[in-house]
Amino acid sequence: MLKFDDSSIIKKQNIDVGYFFEKVKSKFKLTLLSNDSGFQRSIKEQNLHRPGLALAGFVDLFSFSRVQIFGNTEMHYLAQLDDVQKLNSLDRIFQFDIPCIILTNNNQPYPGFIDLANSHNVPVFITPLSTTKLIYFVSDFLDDQFAPKVSVHGSFVDVYGVGILFTGKSGVGKSEVALDLIERGHRLVADDVIILTKKGEGILMGSGTDLVKHFMEIRGLGLINIEKMFGIRAIRFQKRLEVIVELEVWDEKGDYTRTGLDESTISMLDVEIPHIKLPILPGKNITVISEVISLHYLLKHYGYDAAKIFQDRLSQSIQKGKNPDIRRGVDYFEHDFE
Amino acid sequence: MIAETVKIINNAGLHTRPAATIVKLASRYKSEFFISKDGFRINGKSIIGVMTLAAENGSELHLTFDGPDEEKLAFDVIDFFKRGFDEL
Repeated sequence: MLKFDDSSIIKKQNIDVGYFFEKVKSKFKLTLLSNDSGFQRSIKEQNLHRPGLALAGFVDLFSFSRVQIFGNTEMHYLAQLDDVQKLNSLDRIFQFDIPCIILTNNNQPYPGFIDLANSHNVPVFITPLSTTKLIYFVSDFLDDQFAPKVSVHGSFVDVYGVGILFTGKSGVGKSEVALDLIERGHRLVADDVIILTKKGEGILMGSGTDLVKHFMEIRGLGLINIEKMFGIRAIRFQKRLEVIVELEVWDEKGDYTRTGLDESTISMLDVEIPHIKLPILPGKNITVISEVISLHYLLKHYGYDAAKIFQDRLSQSIQKGKNPDIRRGVDYFEHDFE
Repeated sequence: MIAETVKIINNAGLHTRPAATIVKLASRYKSEFFISKDGFRINGKSIIGVMTLAAENGSELHLTFDGPDEEKLAFDVIDFFKRGFDEL
């Protein structure tokens, strides 16, 4: 069985505001308005908050630990207050330990806003993006940052658009299978160390590490660079994990499926992934079988399950009762002896 | 060589699940194993072969076992038939 335990799950508890700004400033067109004295503040949640009610004075259940988004509503509310009320209203928010504030739609802050933020060491950013867009982008970014990740050992290849992860003991030939598939026009995602990230419910995305990218070790030869060797067509950076193929040396007592009716899955980060145990024997072409696994997966995905169809054919044949002879696939040759 | 005739006693006949079980059972042994039905002979270690028989309730199958561990193999397989593929 594939070894996989919860202790290898990586999950960030928080990221600091400085890191957040560095990562997203160009993507989300953020500009820093305050000073950076609050950059070590940490963001602990992927959700965002619009503090309209808190500004108005209702601070019960105020989700202060989230990134605070000031959209048109917040800014227009503040605009109709007099100067003292404005600063009081903002000051109420700064009493809480908020990570940072983002102003959307290029809504310029009022005099005193930035000074107040600086005095509480809360970074303030501004963006020309609309609130809806910014919330969408930032949530997606934070969702990815806080997503559970796990690193697994194997080779991850896109075969006919199906993400297949080859696992198995060291030396069983995972990298060689991957290489063979690349040679046949399929695309390598990563070899050896694969990082799986949970996206939403029921999706695992796999990619390589920043350092290794598409380098690969072939035993007896050493390191090679797949991108240099086979070109851009031979690689891709990310792929959804769809099938796990566990390679193992043929075990006479091993329990291999014969019909394909008994599907097995492996649970990774609470996502069930179809799992195929593939015995390796001399003369067995794992590459071709891998392609067949992909095509079979696609057929099943589009509604054709060969095992189930055959099962029905057999049941019908049995139900018809007496089968005195095993019927030939052809009734009568009609003088066609080709 | 051991030869034995068995009858299918479960209602559903020799359908996919028992066919797979027989093949898996037989694959654990070294001996050769053949099944004949109405003169048609297939290798008992081949899933497509066993399913091709489409043996219904009441039909009779002729089993032959040949090899170093034929007795154990014969016992296991015949026992599975007698149990009605655990579907009685």
